[in-house]
This record gives sequence, C-alpha cells and structure tokens, in this order.
Amino acid sequence: MSVSTLEVSKAWPSRELEHERQLFRAQFSPDGRWIAAGGQDKLVHLWELENDGKKALSGHDTWVSSLVFHPKEKKLFTADYLGVIYCWNYEKGDQPQWIIKEADRDNVRALVVSKDGKHLISAGDDAVIKVWKTSDGQQVARMEGHEECIFSLALSPDGKQLVSGDLFGIVRQWSVGKWKQVRELDAKLLHTRKENFIADVGGVRSFAFSSDGSLLAVGGMKEAKSNAFCPGKPTVLVFDWASGKVKTELGIKGKSDGPFNALRFLEDGTLCGHTEILHSASELTFWKIDEPEPIHSIKNGSGYDLSLHPDKRQLLVPTYVTGGSSGNGGRGKTPENYLTNTTVLRIFSLFAKPEEKGDEKK
Amino acid sequence: MISKRRSTACGDAVHGITRRRMLGSLGGLVGFGSLLHPAIAKEIAEKKKQVCLIWLDGGISQYESWHPLPDSKFAGPFRSIKTSIPGIHFSELMPHTAKIAHKISVIRTMATKDPNHSTGVPRMQRGDPLDRGVDYPYIGSAIAKLLGPADPELPPYVWIKPGNGGFIHREAGFLGAQYGALALGDGRPPVHIHRPDGVSSELDAARNALRQKANERFRAYRNTSEIDAFETSYEMARKLMARKEIFDDDKIEPKDRERYGTHPLGRHVLQARQLLESGVRFVKVNSYHWDTHGDNFNMSQRLVPQADQPFAALVNDLDDRGMLDNVLVVMMSEFGRTPLINSRLGRDHWPDCWSLALAGCGIKRGAIIGETTEDGGFVDGKGYDVGDLFHTIYNVLGIRSKRAKYRHKGQKLAIAHDHCEPIEEVML
Repeated sequence: MSVSTLEVSKAWPSRELEHERQLFRAQFSPDGRWIAAGGQDKLVHLWELENDGKKALSGHDTWVSSLVFHPKEKKLFTADYLGVIYCWNYEKGDQPQWIIKEADRDNVRALVVSKDGKHLISAGDDAVIKVWKTSDGQQVARMEGHEECIFSLALSPDGKQLVSGDLFGIVRQWSVGKWKQVRELDAKLLHTRKENFIADVGGVRSFAFSSDGSLLAVGGMKEAKSNAFCPGKPTVLVFDWASGKVKTELGIKGKSDGPFNALRFLEDGTLCGHTEILHSASELTFWKIDEPEPIHSIKNGSGYDLSLHPDKRQLLVPTYVTGGSSGNGGRGKTPENYLTNTTVLRIFSLFAKPEEKGDEKK
Repeated sequence: MISKRRSTACGDAVHGITRRRMLGSLGGLVGFGSLLHPAIAKEIAEKKKQVCLIWLDGGISQYESWHPLPDSKFAGPFRSIKTSIPGIHFSELMPHTAKIAHKISVIRTMATKDPNHSTGVPRMQRGDPLDRGVDYPYIGSAIAKLLGPADPELPPYVWIKPGNGGFIHREAGFLGAQYGALALGDGRPPVHIHRPDGVSSELDAARNALRQKANERFRAYRNTSEIDAFETSYEMARKLMARKEIFDDDKIEPKDRERYGTHPLGRHVLQARQLLESGVRFVKVNSYHWDTHGDNFNMSQRLVPQADQPFAALVNDLDDRGMLDNVLVVMMSEFGRTPLINSRLGRDHWPDCWSLALAGCGIKRGAIIGETTEDGGFVDGKGYDVGDLFHTIYNVLGIRSKRAKYRHKGQKLAIAHDHCEPIEEVML
C-alpha cells in the first residue's frame, strides 16, 4: 500500500467514533489497531479499529486522567484522579495485571513509558515524579524538585531524557536511568497569578519533542485574565533543546481561550496542537516552526489530547460535543431532557482526500 | 461645575424642612422596638444576636463541596468523604467542614431562578421581596436597620472585602445611606484611624463640633442622604478610633492564622471573628472569582479549601466561645454550578438546584436537608427560594418576618417575600 503524501493543508476528518460521555484522553496503540480512551465515566474504552469492536475495562473509581500504551507489549497503563494506576492487557482479558493504589496523593496527570519499555513514569498533584517497573508496578525511583502539581511528561526521541512541566511553568529535565535532574527550563510565561487571583492559573499542559530531538515544544496559555473563567491566550513555547532557550513563541489565529492540551510534531517538522474554548468551536492548529503564523488550522470542538497514528498520517483528537443543554441555568430543562455532553473521537487524515469513484466519473 | 446631585436641591427651605422631617420619621418609625415583640427585642438586646455572611462571589460548585454524588453522571473527579453525620458525605475538598457537619445545616435544594450574576447577586442579598417600586436593602443593611448595632460604639454592618474599602452606602437602598456598610478593603482598618500625635483630644472635639455645625448648615438645602452617608462614616471612624484594638494584628495567635489559612478568605474570616467578638452586629466577608466556567476542577481543588478551612474554624471557635447559639453563620453564593461540564472543563451557572450552609443562632445542628434527583441536577420535592432563606434568617434572629414591615414614604413594605416561608427543617 502506498503511503499518502503528508499535506496538512488538505487534512480532513476521515473517521469518527462517538461516545455518550466526555473523554479527555485518547491514544492509538503502537500497532495502530486500537484506540484507548478515558474520561468522565471511569471506564477505559477500547476500540478495535479493523472490526469496529468496542469494549470497556472497569476498575477506576473516578475519572480516568491519563493513559499510555507500552511500546512493545500489549499493555495499557491508565491512571485516575485518586492516584491509582492500572496495567491492562488490552487485547486479552478484562482484569488488570497489576494495580498501584497510591501512585500519587491525588491526580496522576501524566504517564510515559521509557523507550526500552522497562519503566512507567508517572507524575501529578503531589509534584513527585515516580518510576515504576512495567512488569509488576514496583517503584524504582522518585524524583523531587517541582513545587506544584505536574501536568506533563515527555521523553526525548532517544529515550535518554525526561522532561516534566508544572503549574508554575517550570520545566525540569531529568536523565533517564540515573533519575537525576539535569537542568531547568523557563516556561513561566504559561503561568499567571495576578494580584487579585485566588489561585494560580495555567501551567505546562503539553510537550512535544521534534523527531531529531533538537526542539521541545511546550504548550499552555499565557496572560490568563482571571482564575474563574480562566481565559488566556493559547501559547506554545518552542525551546532550542541544546541551549535551553526559547526559539520561538507560537499562537493561534482563531479565538480559542484555553490552553494547548496536546502537541505533536509530524515527520516533516510541522508542529500541531489542539486547544479549547468555551461554548464555541476551537481549532486544530499547524505551524512551521520558523513561521510566526500557523500555516493551517481546522475548526473543531474543544480537544483535549492528540495521538499520531504509527502510519504518521492520522491524528486522533478526543473532541467535545455539546448535548444541547450547556450554558447557564436550566432554562426549562427537566431531568429527562437535560442531556449530557458527549465526545467524538475524531481522526483527521493528514493528506488530500482521495477522490471518490463518483467524482472521477465527473 | 454643578454636580447632578447638587442640582436636585432647589434651595427652597420648604424642601429642606420636608427632607429633614422625612428623615426623622424614617429613623423613628422603623425602630428596633416597633418591629419586634418586646420580649424578643429584649432577648435580642441581651444576647446580641449577630450574623456572619461568607459570600463566595460567582458561585461555588455544589458537586465539589456540599453534594458530591460521586456515582452520578454529573460528578466531578474528587473523592466523596464521610462527615461527622453518619451517611452524609461532602467533597474531599472540604475536610475541615466534614468534621463539623454535626454543628451546621446544609440546604441542598436551593432553587432560586436567576442564572445571572448582575441580577442574581442583588436578588440573593436582598431576599427578593415582591417588587414595590423601591430599592430594597442588602441583608447587612437590613439587619443594621432592623436590629441596630449590637454595640452602640461600633458600626452595625462591616463588610470585609478584597480591594478597596470605605463607606459603601449603596447597599442600604431606600433605608438611607446611614445603614450602609463600613467596608474594610482587604481587611485593612479605615484610614486615619489613629489621631495624629499633634492633635489633642480637646482640639479633636472642637474640630468635630465645627464639622457638625458645618454639616447642619450644609444639610439644610441639600440631599440629606449623601450628608448622612458622610456623617455616618465620620461617626463610625470616630468610634473606631476608640476601639482600634480590634484591628491589632498582634493580638492574633499564630495558630489561629494557621487554622483559618493565610489566604485572603482565611485572613478575612478570622478578622470577622474578631469583629463579632468585639460586638459588630453583621459582618459580611466576600471572596471573589468563584465563577469557574473554565478549568473548574483545577480551580475548585484550590478554591474550595480556602472556604472550607476558615468556615469550619469560625464555627468551631464560636462554638468553643459559647457564641454559636447567638451568631448566625451563612456561607453561600448567588447560585451553584451546572451539573453539565462544559467545553472548558468548567461548570456554568445553576440556580435550579444548589447548596448552601447555615450554622448557629437557632439553626439546627446536623440537618442536611433537601431531596434532589439521583444526579443532583434538579430538586426532587421541595425547593427553597431566597425568600424562604430570608424568612429563616430573620426568624432565627428573632425578627417576625411575616409581621415586621419597613415604612418608607408612608408605605408599609414587607421585609421578606410575602409568599415565602421560614425553612422549618433547619430551624430549632
């Protein structure tokens, strides 16, 4: 099968998987045959893409906050707001292989697996990064240094470096294996605490390394106007990895007011990111790093995660869909017609849409 | 330049006299005794019933506080924790209050109609009496009028708020500016509370007499409410100069600061305790920025503990001091937040079914009332409007809210909504 030419300006939504509740995390499996997603309904949902199969794994007692596939084995790691991590064989069985009951004081906000597949790394509300054996969930190491909750983790393409980002906009680099801090990067622009705020707003909400490891994109939002609506300017800081200095700052053309929840570099160096907005359409945005303005954007509902298919031609976005009852007050709604908001797992194909047979005839 | 206010005074002496007479009658007709049964009035006077209103402006989420319902489809991600009342759970974000649940009442079925801040805040703080074409007072001013000062040497209504302070007369409505709030901006005492060293008490008294004389002369031909506001604020400041120990931070125990929290709401509720102990009738403490349309769960994780900690500390302290039976504590917002979670992971405004807490002063201990639908989104059975709440507040303070009337320009005005009733389920 020929590989389509990557052409983000012609990207199009090629498949949609609907779910009746809100999902905040969704990832392709390393072989591209599965999608795992989790969110508000406490379940881990699995779609088998080739046969439209769907199943759910139960175990979490609250919202699923993060998930990651093992790069080599048929393992899926999922975590929740109560600090619990589950390891599942996502192809066989519906019982967890092991459970870490107190991986964090509260919310485990980020999970990554080391490149060799031996270690699961978690971080979240207690601001401590913990390293676990993927084989049995035993703790290997813990790394302290952050002073506020950690939102994001990422591994460098060579697997030797780990980055973590917190609420204050502090990015820390750690050496994998030694589990020691190497240096600190300044992304404080993504944190806001004005004098009249009663809480800190923003933080490092997403990371992406370029494929050659020369760039680190750090996503969030800047200049939050309040700690209530939490509206800000979606912003990506692109660091030159060698120097640790900000190379460029990227924003959007549209009107989204939430943070960049997810970022991914494509194989041609294009960076893509997704943000969110209140009661309106958000966007999936594409940039060339050396160009100040986005090269393309696609209107989409608020998106909370991004996953790149192993074919590198499909992007998965868990996308917010209103149930029609959003906004202030019941406005005459009853328990019967007050409908929950839902999700569509939208897959964007990053190439020109093939002409349909009918089109060819024309 | 002639201001708009000046231009309303035509300069006719008859108008001046009429205004003064009107003011006199306003002050005299709706006196403390005229509204209350003499025995109750005496009891109130003796026991000095007081109020602390903790106002979480913007709307605290009931799901992230009083009514977590972790198995409902609208639940947030936080734990539900046991309280000191068997079978009753609060959000894990309220661990301190969970321990004193047996000392408070929670109403989980407030149904208050108005989904907007601009109209919801005044409606909730005025009690929404039927519209009779007047500007009703906010509750602090109403209590100041209905009960008067608990200590004549202290202002009856003090409002601790972030930002600027000063004398804020707009809350008094038709009662007149003198029933406005003395606002302590960020908890700071009024400016110039300390008499300069170079001014002796005799000189200060002479200065004050001259000022009063000038005021009287000025009053004769002008809008008296404005002058009353000035005069009242001056009198308050003068009285506070004699009681400036109330604002002495050195008297606060470090452990108290820790128990209440060092954030603004913690500091301000602790200051409210000092003011209540000193004898202020009504203290309102405002905290802003609770309108979590965006990032509700990260924000609630940080905001709700800021209310939980000082609320529980205040109730405990008042209880320990034997004051809780005479001090009413109310913690509320203008509405709750939507069951639905929006695209910014926030919750919007929800007046249809939400929660608030009451404690002390004739409020039952450990009454958690109100049935909701399984998911907590709607009232299932009896809902309560703000008029019901106001009747409840007035009644536990000893004010017969169904009988007591304001009189304004010859018109009798109900002090609370005619068609609402006290919420017996939370009253002793």
